[in-house]
Amino acid sequence: MTVLFWILGILAVPTAVFLLWLLWVFLKELFSPSPDDGDTDADAEAARAAKAAAKLGLLPAERQNTELAAPLPEQWTAALAAVRGGDWQPAADLLAAVGRDWERRSALAYQLADRAAEEDAWLLAWEAARPDDPDAAVVRARSTVILAWKIRGAKAAKYTTREQAEGFHRTLTAARADVARAAALNPDDPTPFVAEIWVALGLGYPNARMDELWTEITSRAPHHYEAHFSALQYWCAKWRGSERLAREFAERAAAGAPLGSLLTVLPLIAHFEHDESDDTEADNTPEMRARVEAALADAAAADPSHPRLPELRHLLAYYLHLQGRNEAALEQFRLVDGHVNALPWRHDSDMAGYYCRVRNTTVALAEEAATAGV
Amino acid sequence: MGATLRALRALVLLLGFYLLSLVLLAALAGVDVLVFSWGHGPLTAKVGFVTVLLAIPVVRGMLMLRTPKGEDPPGLPVTDADEPRLWALVRELAAAAGTRAPDRILLTGEVNASVSEDPRLLGLLPGPRRLTLGVPLLIGLTEAQLRSVLAHEFGHFTGGDTRLSALVVRGRVQIGRVIGQFHAKADGKVAADRARQERASAKRVAKGRKAKEIDTTGVGATYRTMARIYTAYGKLYLRASLSTARGQEYAADLTAARIAGRDATASALREIPALSASHDFYVDSYATLGLHARLLPPRGEFFGGFGRLLTAREPEPAGLRAELPEMPVGPYDSHPPIADRVRRIEALPADGRTDEARGSALTLLTDPERTLGALEDAVLLDELLACPRAAGWEELLNASMAAGLSATTTPLHRALTAYTGQPATLSALLDLIDDGRLWRLAERLPLSEQAAAAKGRAFREFVRPALLGSLRTMVLAEFSACSLLTWEFSWTSPATVRLPGWETGAGDDSPEAELDAALEAAVADHPDTTRLRALLPPAVQNA
Repeated sequence: MTVLFWILGILAVPTAVFLLWLLWVFLKELFSPSPDDGDTDADAEAARAAKAAAKLGLLPAERQNTELAAPLPEQWTAALAAVRGGDWQPAADLLAAVGRDWERRSALAYQLADRAAEEDAWLLAWEAARPDDPDAAVVRARSTVILAWKIRGAKAAKYTTREQAEGFHRTLTAARADVARAAALNPDDPTPFVAEIWVALGLGYPNARMDELWTEITSRAPHHYEAHFSALQYWCAKWRGSERLAREFAERAAAGAPLGSLLTVLPLIAHFEHDESDDTEADNTPEMRARVEAALADAAAADPSHPRLPELRHLLAYYLHLQGRNEAALEQFRLVDGHVNALPWRHDSDMAGYYCRVRNTTVALAEEAATAGV
Repeated sequence: MGATLRALRALVLLLGFYLLSLVLLAALAGVDVLVFSWGHGPLTAKVGFVTVLLAIPVVRGMLMLRTPKGEDPPGLPVTDADEPRLWALVRELAAAAGTRAPDRILLTGEVNASVSEDPRLLGLLPGPRRLTLGVPLLIGLTEAQLRSVLAHEFGHFTGGDTRLSALVVRGRVQIGRVIGQFHAKADGKVAADRARQERASAKRVAKGRKAKEIDTTGVGATYRTMARIYTAYGKLYLRASLSTARGQEYAADLTAARIAGRDATASALREIPALSASHDFYVDSYATLGLHARLLPPRGEFFGGFGRLLTAREPEPAGLRAELPEMPVGPYDSHPPIADRVRRIEALPADGRTDEARGSALTLLTDPERTLGALEDAVLLDELLACPRAAGWEELLNASMAAGLSATTTPLHRALTAYTGQPATLSALLDLIDDGRLWRLAERLPLSEQAAAAKGRAFREFVRPALLGSLRTMVLAEFSACSLLTWEFSWTSPATVRLPGWETGAGDDSPEAELDAALEAAVADHPDTTRLRALLPPAVQNA
């Protein structure tokens, strides 16, 4: 009998030890609970960085505008609101007032066309009231192209359904007539041809035909930002070019453009579109550092109200951060904070979240550097 | 391998089947003995029961000695008196191949020719021979090519292939039968078990409890295991007889080349796959065109139309013939790849017989038209033969298209019914469009995920192709119902619709282009049905 008790006693020891350990953990958790969601250091750090960013007046992800790269001028917002209500008059006046400022005309026509790609009753009314208005025609042309891309969806070709691909093709083909009409009604305007670049992407224009289209554009506006941005997309490997073609196009355009034209963004974009690496080595080559320097100088020389300047700043902030120049990056972030629909964030499914993560890290590192420096 | 050795191997393989069955029976008996000597009570009874159940198909397979009688495929037997020239050709070729001519000739409707023999005493004594000859071959081949095909078949007789095949076939049939029995039992058991579970489940539901998932995996597994054993042996059997079968084909090809000439043989081998593809297409798209309208082509045309198709599409199969079909051959296919056979034949030295008998083989028949008609009676099903005949191919097409159109319900029909709760009619649809509710209606169409997610113009772009197609069908059906539609029959291209020549004012506009424009206007972002209504028969216009 005694032997039996001994055996039971020995067996009971580990059980008792386990129970005591459970009790200890329970008590410890009761008096000093570990942080709820942040059991990793990274999360805690992210929370600290977010707090630091908020202190600087930077907005959280949910308050970032994911439709635009920068706020629109007040008049534009008003005109866009008016067309939503069916009133095309303010839009027509505004476009007429922009006149031959091709950069702004293209941008405004895009914004209007984006609305018209959803519902175009107001545009039809405009067209009915002024049958051969080149302004209405340019909005029409851009809207048909945008509609085609909306039908396609944003996914890679292999995830695009047959129905989407067919609708895309059909609509793009129809868009060519609209583009031609808009170009005929306003022969000086490069905007219809800028829209056609997106037709070229979708329908797969041969390179030679793209070159012809490009001549049409540069003869009208040699340093048009949106034209260059769009054409660079065409020359990227994922569309109708290659990494080499895209780089060449970007370098050539940047080298030939005057300071302040913002075309120094092109080499950065060409790099971004073809960079598959996971580390920052490729972003820290002397070449890349020189590109960032050039872009900084370009941004400083540009007209502060240039509608595309914020797009350059987004990319600058990103690459300055990747090159470890967090204070300079933070400066760019502060200039653009609030609107995030720009490269490099645009392709991310959670563009605001992505933007804020990078921005917050930049803030934290910049602060660290500042304290270390003091 | 000589015929004797092959016969021996076939015999051994057949005996192997009996041996396998005996071993399985012995194994089952052994299990019983083990269980009865060591087991007790209910277990013994159960095991005994199961082994007996499993033994039954095995024993039945062994006892079923009679192979099914080689029944004639549906066909038209032709006698010497019917077709003296065909018979003369057959006899001549048999003599050239050094074998006895067939005793019967059966014309069939397939792209195939074959010979068979009903040998006696397991193939020790020859029996009556039969030649089945597909009429599509007569239609599509030249006389020289037909000679090659027949010579190939007689080559099989000469090699004694047909006589030995009795043994091979017996083995194949017997194994197949046992496997079939086991699978049938397994299926029956699964079905019974499912029914039982469903009844039980129904009862549970009736009592307000949750129905149990019906699970029949595992049931019938023992039967399937037994079937698997036999399947494995069957595969071995087929593989063993396979190289022989392929060798026999090559040998028969050589005979054909010797008798009918190298070039005729090679071209026949190239022609047959093309012919077979064309014939399938012909049967699907032409011969059975009027099936749902319960209408047959004119007498003799069900098979005879194939000749017209081939003549009209003369240049087309040339492409099919030029490149050999490189189809992968299944491991159990008795024929070697056609490409391989053609290469072997074309590698033979030229025999200078390039330009022999280029006329159609159909001219061998005394009265092709009468024979084609009689073949229909012999081959087609009675309920098909009961259908009335069209006066010509055009009438057949028109009738079948009319029947098809009146029976069609497009997605738009269904959407319209769902939206209005009324039977879908064209005039109701047009009224609805005029009422500005086309895009509300469009939401009732079957939509893809992307289309359903789209809004505004994008949504309209997504649904427009479906709308356009359905509306077009509805409009054509309306014309068809008023007998205003004709279809243009063609042997070379799909049927095209012919609309009545409207007075459109603009003389150069074809009615088709006019209709397309009107349809597009009716499903435009801002639909306008005026043009379409103007085109429609009065009954709909006034609605």
